[in-house]
Amino acid sequence: MVDKGFWGSRRAFGAAFVAGTALLALAGTAHAEGTIRVLNWQGYGTDEAWAVELFEQKTGIKVEHDYFNSEQEMLTKLRTSPGTYDVVLINSSFTGDAAAEGLIQPIDTSKIGNWGALTPAYRDNAMLNIDGKVMGVAWLWGVTSFAYNTEKLGAPGSIGALWDPANAGRVGWRDDAVEAVQLAALATGQNMNDPADMNVIREKLRALKGQIATFWSSEDEWNKLMSSGAFDLATYWSGSASRSKTAFGLPVEFVIPPEGAIGWLDGLSIAAGAPNPDGAHAFIDFMDSAEFYVKWDTEVGAPASANAEAMAALPEGAFNRVVLGDPAVGERLQFMAPIPEERRQAYLELWQETKTYFAE
Amino acid sequence: MSRLSQALLGAVLVFLYMPIVVMVVMAFNRSALYELPIEWDTVWFQALAGNERLLTASMNSILIALANTVIATVLGTMAALAFARFRFRGRNLMRLLLLPTITIPWLIIGTAMLVLFFWIGIGRGLHAILLGHVALSIPYVVIVVGARLAGFGPALEEAAASLGASPWQTFVRVSFPVIAPGVVAAALFAFAVSFDQFVISYFLSPPGVSTLPVEIYAAIRKGFTPEVNAISAIIILVSMGLMLAFARLYRFGGERGS
Amino acid sequence: MSETARRRRAIVGLTAPAYLWLLLTIFLPLAAMLCFSVLTVAPIGGREPALTLKHYAAFLEKDFYRDLTWRSVRLGLDVTFWCVVVGYPAAFALARHVRGCWREALFLLIVLPFWSNGLVRVFSWTIVLRDGGLLDRAVHWVVPGAGALDIIYSYPATVIGLVHSFVPYMILTCYLSLQAIDDSLIEAARSLGASAARTFLRVVLPLSLPGLVAGAVLIFVPVVGSFMEPRILGGTQGIMLGTVIEDQFTTVFNWPLGAALSFILLAIVLAVMLAALPVLRGRLAGAEGASS
Repeated sequence: MVDKGFWGSRRAFGAAFVAGTALLALAGTAHAEGTIRVLNWQGYGTDEAWAVELFEQKTGIKVEHDYFNSEQEMLTKLRTSPGTYDVVLINSSFTGDAAAEGLIQPIDTSKIGNWGALTPAYRDNAMLNIDGKVMGVAWLWGVTSFAYNTEKLGAPGSIGALWDPANAGRVGWRDDAVEAVQLAALATGQNMNDPADMNVIREKLRALKGQIATFWSSEDEWNKLMSSGAFDLATYWSGSASRSKTAFGLPVEFVIPPEGAIGWLDGLSIAAGAPNPDGAHAFIDFMDSAEFYVKWDTEVGAPASANAEAMAALPEGAFNRVVLGDPAVGERLQFMAPIPEERRQAYLELWQETKTYFAE
Repeated sequence: MSRLSQALLGAVLVFLYMPIVVMVVMAFNRSALYELPIEWDTVWFQALAGNERLLTASMNSILIALANTVIATVLGTMAALAFARFRFRGRNLMRLLLLPTITIPWLIIGTAMLVLFFWIGIGRGLHAILLGHVALSIPYVVIVVGARLAGFGPALEEAAASLGASPWQTFVRVSFPVIAPGVVAAALFAFAVSFDQFVISYFLSPPGVSTLPVEIYAAIRKGFTPEVNAISAIIILVSMGLMLAFARLYRFGGERGS
Repeated sequence: MSETARRRRAIVGLTAPAYLWLLLTIFLPLAAMLCFSVLTVAPIGGREPALTLKHYAAFLEKDFYRDLTWRSVRLGLDVTFWCVVVGYPAAFALARHVRGCWREALFLLIVLPFWSNGLVRVFSWTIVLRDGGLLDRAVHWVVPGAGALDIIYSYPATVIGLVHSFVPYMILTCYLSLQAIDDSLIEAARSLGASAARTFLRVVLPLSLPGLVAGAVLIFVPVVGSFMEPRILGGTQGIMLGTVIEDQFTTVFNWPLGAALSFILLAIVLAVMLAALPVLRGRLAGAEGASS
């Protein structure tokens, strides 16, 4: 009989446990001195290989990345992983939420050398400056609308192209509740930040059934789907559209229709409990420099910079100067404002319900 | 074998292997957008050699699978010994309690672990992933080793004990050599369960720490190149090698009967 | 130390480590999740939770949650059905019509893909199924001028990917029970004048039913909770209860709602399992009898 097996088993158990923990210790990931971890969209400037290299040359600080596919996911990553991230990209309409939850810390603007060069309208924006503290440094602004394949479609004159039966099964749509509701609000002539009639929006979104070929969730996915012909026109961001054209050579054109488009301002913030706040300040300053931005926009493609000097240094014909600099376009933009929690939950439910309807 | 059987089994094999072959072939295709026709190149294997994220994740996967194999095999074998050699109250209940890991969707187990580990401060990380993988592996080990133990009675052990061997000596000298093939099979099983496990790891991996399946999922969702194919090709070949070793031992263990 | 005490110590010593482990990683987490599902917000990061049943109520009030649940269950049933359609005949052919080392080799070949990475297998289907992909080209090569396949990013694509991932389970369990059927039983039926079809329906099928049911359970349970496959292959058809639960945990941070939805999903899975229990019990009893 395995009688006094208890002792034997404990010895075996101990051995197994020691072996296991020793293996895990080998796998432990030390966070090196002189490293910062950035949380951003994939392919959104901070992870350009040449930029990371240049920054490391200048400061000796290595840059690591983690990515999100929605602002909600970004907030959840900050909530569940305190003390992990240094720099985080936050759409200014979410900066207030992040600050209220204590997820980000005030920024010492004396450490941001390019502070004086930033366009005051963005730099001093109320969404980034909360209770007299700077919670986010204005970085980029741009437009959410849609882009189309110039080889397959004529120039769409209206946001209605997304609902046009001629384009049935050829539309790409980002799987994001807030963006979906805001685009539907624009298409139905409503204030996208406070739509008066949610039922109209609900019907407008349901009318997309049959139009949408597939959802996209990241820029990389958008490029692959567009290039493979999975969709021919799709909701998109202005900066990404110029990257798809410049860096990936796709035949796409970005549209700002007469009904208007979603304007947004992105800021860079420093996470609460950031392991390397000095490195974070240095990185934010570098990201806001004309040196980085001009190379990024001309060689890769970017949204418009909040740095006035950087914008002035762009070549004459640049999209960000010509189109986004046009006052008539500016009038058509509605800028994203913060959304109260209950309303966001309502948007989310509406979108899930609509997606369920699509799938039926 | 009849024509129909041949055709049927052939069709099933084509169905099973088509995506695997495509996956491996695409690792050798130069196009980053997976365009056809194929231009043969090993560029993605070279790129993979410099891809620290994927390599670190693969290393984590292997280390976790090894640690999981050791712990789950030891704990599961111990429990199987108890079930095989003792009749006691609650024995059936305890065997029933092994079932939840098989009959509850991983999605629910994974999110439940996330909730508890966050709540009580275990947190996420390789240690948490290991905790989860061992839990998933234990029932398989108990079942596989139990089947082997059922194949021989306690007579040999009793003989050894009556000749004055201590329980530990009895186990090392008598029981273990007999159940060894079953234990090795269970260990391979545990390794495979852990190495392929995605859902649990996905919910329990914090930023910057991931296993290979988690890294591949992130890549598919957020941006990827055929480096993913290259590492997958390597893994498919390695795991198939492992499986062949398993098959040899399986027959060696004689559990399949004839 | 008395013999009984020693015995007890041995039993406890041998089983306690494994069961403590399962307690920490399965049973306590499920209990914690039950607690979470009745809270207003997750008590993390200084949030103040209160007790509520609103997440369960939301499930009952909102039609689309029921639709989603039905979608997930239907996905589980469809995938299980196709696994039977593909797997059972294959297992039958393997067990009854293949002999010797061919059988060993084929058996191995069928189980092998099982051991490759599941995510990678699902992803490779996107390359096979997409427009201009392998299948598309093959079809156009055979039938020039055929229309676009248009199968990627759809419900069928999800089913194909899942059937591919799970069909080896069905082949394995059916093969084991078909192989165990005594040839003399079949011969007896035939010699008594039963047709091949009748022999199959009256003898082979009932005897292999336990394997069929075991395979179905092993497939149905994970598929009902799947979220990664529908996301990668499903496109606009990819929304399932599983993807919504995943969203609650990784994206929107509504863990209590996610927990409540998880429990509802679990209840459905258990209900289906209970329905299958009589057959399963028969199989377990059979296995017990065979091993002793």
